Amino acid sequence: MSPQAKKEQNKILILATETCAYPGADSVGQAHSTYPANTYILRVRAPVLFPESFYIDCFKKGISGIIVMSCGEECPYEGAYKALAKRLDSVYKKMKKMEIDIKRLRLTAICTVCNRAFLNEVKQMDQLIREIGPPQLMV
Amino acid sequence: MIPTDIFNFDTLVVGGGIAGLQTALDLGDQGYKVAVVEKDASIGGKMIRLSKVFPTLDCASCITTPKMSAVAHHENITLFTYCELNSLDYDGSGEFQGMKALITQKPRYVDPVKCIGCRQCEYVCPVHIPDMEQGGLSATKAISIPFSNAIPQLPIMDIENCMLCGQCEKACPTNAIDYLQKPEEFLIASKTAVVTTGFDLLPVKDNTQYGNGKIPNVIDSLQMERLLAPHGPYNRVLRPSDGMEPDSIAYVQCAGSRDKSMGVSYCSRVCCMYAIKQAMLLSGSLPLADITIYYMDIRAFGKGYEQFYQNAKAMGIEFIKAKVARIDRGENGSAQVRYELQDGSGTATANHDLVVLSMGMVPGWNPEQPVCPVSKDTDQFITSIKPKISPVLTDMDGLFVAGAAAGPKDIVDTITESGSAAMEAAKFMSKSLMEN
Amino acid sequence: MSEKNQNVGVYICYCGGNISDHVDVEEVRNRVEKMPGVALARTEMFMCSDPGQEMIIEDLKSGKIDRVVVASCAPSLHETTFRDAINRAGSNPFIYEHANIREQVSWVHHGDTATDKASVLIASATAKAKQLKPLDPIRVEAKKHTTIIGGGIAGIKAALDIAQTGIDVTLVEKSPILGGQLNNLDRLAPSGEKASEVLQELLDQVLNHKGITIHTDCKIQDVTGYVGNFSLDIVTKSDNKKLTIDTGAIVMATGSVSYMPFEGEYGFGRHEQVITLKDLIPILKENKSAGSVLKVNGKTIKNMVMIHCVGSRQIPGIHQPKENGQLNEYCSRTCCAAMLNVSNQIRENFPETGIYEMYRDIRTYGRGQEELYNQASKNKVIFMRYEADAQPEIIPSPKPDYPLQVKIKDSLTFNEEMEIPADLVVLATGIEPDDVSGLASMLKLPIGTDKFLLEVHPKLRPVEFPITGVFLAGTCQAPMDTGEACNAAGAAAVKASALLSKGYIELDPFVAEVDTDKCQGHGACVEACLKEGALELIEVNIEGKIHKKARVTAALCLGCGACAAVCPEKAIDINGWALKQYEDMVDAIVSDGFTV
Repeated sequence: MSPQAKKEQNKILILATETCAYPGADSVGQAHSTYPANTYILRVRAPVLFPESFYIDCFKKGISGIIVMSCGEECPYEGAYKALAKRLDSVYKKMKKMEIDIKRLRLTAICTVCNRAFLNEVKQMDQLIREIGPPQLMV
Repeated sequence: MIPTDIFNFDTLVVGGGIAGLQTALDLGDQGYKVAVVEKDASIGGKMIRLSKVFPTLDCASCITTPKMSAVAHHENITLFTYCELNSLDYDGSGEFQGMKALITQKPRYVDPVKCIGCRQCEYVCPVHIPDMEQGGLSATKAISIPFSNAIPQLPIMDIENCMLCGQCEKACPTNAIDYLQKPEEFLIASKTAVVTTGFDLLPVKDNTQYGNGKIPNVIDSLQMERLLAPHGPYNRVLRPSDGMEPDSIAYVQCAGSRDKSMGVSYCSRVCCMYAIKQAMLLSGSLPLADITIYYMDIRAFGKGYEQFYQNAKAMGIEFIKAKVARIDRGENGSAQVRYELQDGSGTATANHDLVVLSMGMVPGWNPEQPVCPVSKDTDQFITSIKPKISPVLTDMDGLFVAGAAAGPKDIVDTITESGSAAMEAAKFMSKSLMEN
Repeated sequence: MSEKNQNVGVYICYCGGNISDHVDVEEVRNRVEKMPGVALARTEMFMCSDPGQEMIIEDLKSGKIDRVVVASCAPSLHETTFRDAINRAGSNPFIYEHANIREQVSWVHHGDTATDKASVLIASATAKAKQLKPLDPIRVEAKKHTTIIGGGIAGIKAALDIAQTGIDVTLVEKSPILGGQLNNLDRLAPSGEKASEVLQELLDQVLNHKGITIHTDCKIQDVTGYVGNFSLDIVTKSDNKKLTIDTGAIVMATGSVSYMPFEGEYGFGRHEQVITLKDLIPILKENKSAGSVLKVNGKTIKNMVMIHCVGSRQIPGIHQPKENGQLNEYCSRTCCAAMLNVSNQIRENFPETGIYEMYRDIRTYGRGQEELYNQASKNKVIFMRYEADAQPEIIPSPKPDYPLQVKIKDSLTFNEEMEIPADLVVLATGIEPDDVSGLASMLKLPIGTDKFLLEVHPKLRPVEFPITGVFLAGTCQAPMDTGEACNAAGAAAVKASALLSKGYIELDPFVAEVDTDKCQGHGACVEACLKEGALELIEVNIEGKIHKKARVTAALCLGCGACAAVCPEKAIDINGWALKQYEDMVDAIVSDGFTV
């Protein structure tokens, strides 16, 4: 294995919708605004794809925080946003049961040029996980 | 001299704003080969420069960029940006009978084939110039890509302001800088053409009553769009002269519209709604500010518009039925608005930290002979010969019009009309196909 | 998914310094090369250039690789470029995944962290690439035929437009005649064309077009099917004849009706001298009487009052809702110009008939309409403005010369209370959508709070419904005038023509797919599905036993993945965007790309 800079233990997973939030993240790049590098953006069609277990498994695997960046009410899939919000409610319940800080999971709407909102979300999540560290879970 | 480069298309769309993009998409999707000629360096027109749009308050960029990118990637659509249209006329002389357009590609001083849009030139350029894409409210470089989501991602060099220091040339990784680039003429021959040349605002500098654009913090509505945009010049709403957060903002409606002596006699149709929309956005970003709209009639006629207006009233935005007679320089950067109340009770004055002029709309392209022989109405917009059964028909066979080129129009009506123009163009071409 | 070991080719772009200034591209290549599943990793100054693309094509052709990852700028810029290149190599374009290491790495992070993050993003893209499989666009055969529901001006125009592009059209109208509301109008604002002539110009063409079949006096009993393959059962009202129409697309052009004032609203129904604008128009049309004063039903009209916004712009708490609770909060858009048009005609032909227009805002927004307003002022029409909460009141006149008196607080003259004597009061009644709730529920079409049919999005898809292949045009969507309705019809027609022009419809391959071996027929996916009809449970006979299995109708599937989230067997997933792919991507991220 090649030498690698010190391993980042606090990782943030960002699920960004391909129509809104993902181009929004690109827009931040075009503006050359820096943000913490421990962020990993996955392009998704609709976050409604992910079952409750996906989120819990991510925490089990060691992801410290997840931000779901959706299109909000402008979601191109009718009804998906509502289903997603409901899904996350049950994820929060599970997280509470498992004593995972529910602040580790955020649902937000990011538009294609919402640079400030994007940076703000990332900053807040980064601050949080720096305070509380990676989730300690019995796998 | 007749240029040797001739490109053949089914349809030439003149103007790459939202009307042109929608027309091109609706034709391209039917299999027609379409050329879009745009005078600016990027497609997207006025809409891509807006903040949010009424009555849904969607971010304008989020609605426009998908259409821009669909056009850019469409197999049947070719873009010609930063081009001047010199003439457009029917030519029945030779073998080809149809529309002929003589076009000049203006020099960007950047080789579009070599350039990879990396912006290295922009970063190293030492010359700062006012950024007209931000309403002139902030600065950009003398070589730059016009705005972040511009299509194509090609910079243009402002040759007037460039000092030929050569730094961009050195920084460019692909040797794309070309100081010696010349304008190039070419012809587009097409079976049909659709004019979607949009609008401009009346220039404030022509209005003595409003201070000829010399009073600080009196801006036009498109500048306010930039102030409100999420990627605007200051990233928040500040008044331009001193960067103060305005506590009191006024909208002057019918600024140059519905009054020949002030500008144009017709109603510009969108100003009521965009003023209300901007007022709503302002009360979101500056919750403590007082917002006043001076108006004659509120024309909230479209789907969901009246409800939008009533919401604005409920939010505490003040509507004063009055005609603004003049604006003067006030104290501490404010502007003094003198208005005549429409209830007959006389005149009054008020001071505002920031005044937005809802300037009237005029045609973006005003063809005279011999540029294009299409007829215009007394309002200077292109004449519709069948305003009832097909408002997109002009008095030239094979030439159609859509959007604000056929009179002031909001985005919703523009998009519908563009579909209609694409339909008429398609019918025209399938008809001539059957006749042949 | 294929279980064989995929050979991923990874191509990393320098972007002429844009990436390589912050990311150590060669170091990334070294790391990536060692990742499991990676057959080769190459770098290039500009991957998007011809030499870059050729490199990929050669590697594919030589069989060294069968999956491609390109690490470069944002996918919005060059994803299509590389898919095209793969296509040119004779491979399936969907074996491709993109790693965004410019906009989301080199432009936002610097130094070692940028290099590390680029490596991890490529590892994650590689993990996904290994799970990708070739996909083909979904092709649905489509009948080159459109059905237009509603034979008003919008329906007629749409029928003509579509038929003239070579697609057959059936026009279905519920009443015995075509023309809709235009039959009730006379001179159209602002330019004064005769409604009958405008209508006739289109009707002549429609009636003579071989591609257009017309069924009047019809009712639609049922609609089934999906885009390209709808089926409508219609029945004639008079002789109960049944007919089935097979069609590829449907245009809703069901139009509108005039608002009916309730009894007592501005004296309507209580005083015979209070009529609607709709009632006045035929009177004027048939009025051949000479003389300088207007006569209505034999009575001389010395003074008339026109009241705007009746049944429009209603405000909760101020206006009285209908029995069903409905308030028309919207503006009916066409009445201002129509009223002014009529006022001008009367003032110009009958100068001794005085006119008062009582309005809230004059909305002469359209081309040529402001001139109508100016002309009305020149014609000495007297304008008075009332506020929504102080509506004019109509009472019997105390004076014998006039039957009625209108009381108004005029906000153009210090809110002074005025009493206007009137021989006639005309109400500008607004536009309401025709009741199509039955059809809407058959077709699952959304209706807005204003009761008009609701488009997908006013700007992105203004003439479309969420149901692919169903469009809308004209005043069933919102109030519009004739020109606007015809524009909307043209816009709907162009969409229908584009959809059906090829005889088949190609849809994205990113739809749900069921692994029938795993599927246990729980039906959770069907319940979660957001699109009615896209997923269903069917019974399959496997070795003599009946099993329930989920089945996807690809033409209807949105590809959102709501189904994949709820399947307990993980038997359903989205092609190209599979849940399993995301799980592998997360694994690659948490392990920094080392254990994939």
